[in-house]
Amino acid sequence: MAEKPEPVRVLYCQVCGLPAEYCEFGPDFEKCKPWIIQNAPDLYPDLLKEANERQADKAAEQLQSVGISSSGDAGGGIQGQADPSGSNIASKPEELKRLPGGKIKKKEKQEVLIEKIVRNKRKCVTVVKGLDLFGVKLSDASKKLGKKFATGASVVKGPTDKEQIDVQGDISYDIVGFITETWSEVPESAIFFIEDGKKVAAA
Amino acid sequence: MFKKFTFEDISAQNQVKTSVQRKIRQNIVDEYPGLEPLMDDLLPKKVPLIVAKCQNHLNLVVVSNVPLFFNVRDGPYMPTLRLLHQYPNIMKKLQVDRGAIKFVLSGANIMCPGLTSPGGALDEDVREETPVAIMAEGKQHALAIGFTKMSAKDIKSINKGIGVDTMHYLNDGLWKMQRLV
Repeated sequence: MAEKPEPVRVLYCQVCGLPAEYCEFGPDFEKCKPWIIQNAPDLYPDLLKEANERQADKAAEQLQSVGISSSGDAGGGIQGQADPSGSNIASKPEELKRLPGGKIKKKEKQEVLIEKIVRNKRKCVTVVKGLDLFGVKLSDASKKLGKKFATGASVVKGPTDKEQIDVQGDISYDIVGFITETWSEVPESAIFFIEDGKKVAAA
Repeated sequence: MFKKFTFEDISAQNQVKTSVQRKIRQNIVDEYPGLEPLMDDLLPKKVPLIVAKCQNHLNLVVVSNVPLFFNVRDGPYMPTLRLLHQYPNIMKKLQVDRGAIKFVLSGANIMCPGLTSPGGALDEDVREETPVAIMAEGKQHALAIGFTKMSAKDIKSINKGIGVDTMHYLNDGLWKMQRLV
């Protein structure tokens, strides 16, 4: 048996709970600062200097904020997961409705929405909306879904008189492949999940 | 995945059968050979092993109330960050540049350019669909655990889009959950 590697002891900030070196990206760096100066001064050499300087001159703070913003821009290789594009999709239709004159009606987009509704904490229903827009017979579809996933599936009148399919159980994982396979007229790009009220592309 | 994660999301905690325990151990050792000598410390045979089932087919492996590993469906077991910090060399590492840190810490997936830029580093052996530790430029410790969507070579050649799915990152729900009650 190989030798046991020793566990590394990591210094965690008592204030925010992150490893001390990540405090600067934490929820509240300002609050962590006093703790860091006391416990891990060598991690942020600038900080100590700054603290000393601040007593003499408050301009140091300005300097530091400039430093942070410039380093933040340095490598923006990563985009936020919840980046604005998601909310854009949601807000666009609203904007359209609000247009002057009010006559421009949003055209019904051809897309399939899949939503998971949790009930009783650990049981859920998967709701499939919009299959009818692709010319799929809902009663047929519900039968097929029920058969495939071995659960109850029914056509239900949803809000605003639209018909949707309720399938018992969490099948959101497998349903995309099933829909694209069974109904070739439905492209994968037209299938969306609804998660926390946000639309997420399935593909 | 753990962006919002509370005790409410745990639907059931079960002490598992020894046969299941053995399977979990075996899976973890297979995935992280570096952990083998440590297994008796991490998952002592005497202490009951608890598997907490959570929403979205997520399982947590819990020993004496401390979550140590998690997995999704039948996917590979991944260590929690606190465990990874103690034994940083058990996983393959990818490094992102400094500009990416704040996005990762708010839960973003890792985009390829953040790994290929001068501040980033790639382990060439990493294949797709494997768990990796995400390190950061100028930092010692891992800041996230991810599941690669492309192999390292693809990340380098395509250099676009999501390279690694962020599973677990500093200050997310699982990080804050130091102990289960």
